[in-house]
Amino acid sequence: MAATFFGEVVKAPCRAGTEDEEEEDEERTETPEDREVRRQLARKREVRLLRRQTKTSLEVSLLEKYPCSKFIIAVGNNAVAFLSSFVMNSGAWEEVGCAKLWNEWCRTTDTAHLSPAEAFCVFYHLKSNPSVFGSCPKKNVQVTVLTSRHVTDYRTSESPGSLRCPFLRALKTQTLKEPPCCPLLEQPNIVHDLPAAVLSYCQVWKLPAVLYLCYTDVMKLDLVTMEAFKPVLSSRSFKGLVKNIPQSTEILKKLVTAEEIQSNIYT
Amino acid sequence: MFVPSGESVSDLAGFTLLMPAVSVGNVGQLAIDLIISTLNMSKIGYFYTDCLVPMVGNNPYATSEENSTELSINAEVYSLPSKKLVALQLRSIFIKYKSKPFCEKLLSWVKSSNCAQVVVLSSSHSYHRNDLQLRSTPFRYLLTPSMQKSVQNKIKSLNWEEMEKSPCVPEIRDSEFCIRIPGGGITKTLYDEGCSKEIPVAVLLKFVSEGDNIPDALGLVEYLNEWLQIIKPHLQCDDPTASALPWKMPSSWRLLFGSGHPPALF
Repeated sequence: MAATFFGEVVKAPCRAGTEDEEEEDEERTETPEDREVRRQLARKREVRLLRRQTKTSLEVSLLEKYPCSKFIIAVGNNAVAFLSSFVMNSGAWEEVGCAKLWNEWCRTTDTAHLSPAEAFCVFYHLKSNPSVFGSCPKKNVQVTVLTSRHVTDYRTSESPGSLRCPFLRALKTQTLKEPPCCPLLEQPNIVHDLPAAVLSYCQVWKLPAVLYLCYTDVMKLDLVTMEAFKPVLSSRSFKGLVKNIPQSTEILKKLVTAEEIQSNIYT
Repeated sequence: MFVPSGESVSDLAGFTLLMPAVSVGNVGQLAIDLIISTLNMSKIGYFYTDCLVPMVGNNPYATSEENSTELSINAEVYSLPSKKLVALQLRSIFIKYKSKPFCEKLLSWVKSSNCAQVVVLSSSHSYHRNDLQLRSTPFRYLLTPSMQKSVQNKIKSLNWEEMEKSPCVPEIRDSEFCIRIPGGGITKTLYDEGCSKEIPVAVLLKFVSEGDNIPDALGLVEYLNEWLQIIKPHLQCDDPTASALPWKMPSSWRLLFGSGHPPALF
């Protein structure tokens, strides 16, 4: 409980996230109807893998259909834009599936024309070298994850204002022997959400994986942030995948301009 | 599920499992950090689950450059075979409605690995104390019936206070009394499941408020140490020059309250 300046006593949020009393009460008074509603909601939130064009479910796991040795995931608008411009525009990539998901925060409705800023997940597969792609990995697969975070999430003994951002940090699993192309993320910093889930899976099941995390002070599509990912192009994960860097930089600039026009509130 | 980190699977038969409940002030988790760090316990595996929010970071117990690059996830298991101790550390909060399934999976692993007993380190909101509790020690314990048989005498000799029952529904005057641990996270669930499944579970908790909970964590590990004697009890009269803190704080405890501040602020 906390007392406010206005003389009220309110329930203070608990850092440990224990809203157990509410949860217990809910479980005690739950009727079969409540349980059914909860079950249906859980089913609606399930992640489904589909063939993009036909929207039919994939009968076998993507890995069985397309075994691969490199799996690259980009999470967040800047990472996706970087990957699209530098990697996906340097070769013929074929869409092989997508992950359809829904939760109460989803706003994406039109999946035909996606910009990097929208929330969706599509799997691509390199036509010229079918062993490179993104899906359920097996033992000899190397996983690379790209994502970005706001610089205020980064803990350092210096003042955050003195940090020169954007900057790159990496986290890697034990089985990855290759050193990353930027410094490792220092203690006590942590990563959560999807990149953490992927890295946890790889660490537990002993898959080589690396996460490149860009700390930036601009959360929307931004050229400087996207270019901060450039050092990763020299790593083994991206060997042979990037052909024309100047051309890719041009594509990146066009993506940002398109996004800026869309976000003009006066049109 | 438990996944070993090395090639071999450790035998945990007869071991004492120390674990935190994610509770107010994160006291249980801080206490487990102190134990793992002080005893230099080695990681033997992961408790891989979808019940906790995913999180990764580099080794929180790093002491040098060499060992600072090992990746850590949200639920890991450490052991010290010489003292027959195994510690489970939880580093993130439960996903809604997943705390009970987690307790069930955890206790079934405890049963299958033949652990001798489980000790849950936890905390409870200090503002919920009644008048008697306000005037007494802030530490409490709880034992499941199967645990009581083996350790009741030792606990009695320590003069510890058992957690009191309180009205199940505080608003109703003649409500029944039951054990309530507000702010204790899964503590109550673990205790109840331990009772019904006949698993020896001991709960050690402290009444705390949120803030800088490091002193609370130190208090809780000292309380645990009175019973289990995991480190030599600190006797100040022995050596006045000895450090006042026999417990080693892990390197990841720096910057607990955020980054440095701009010098121009003051």
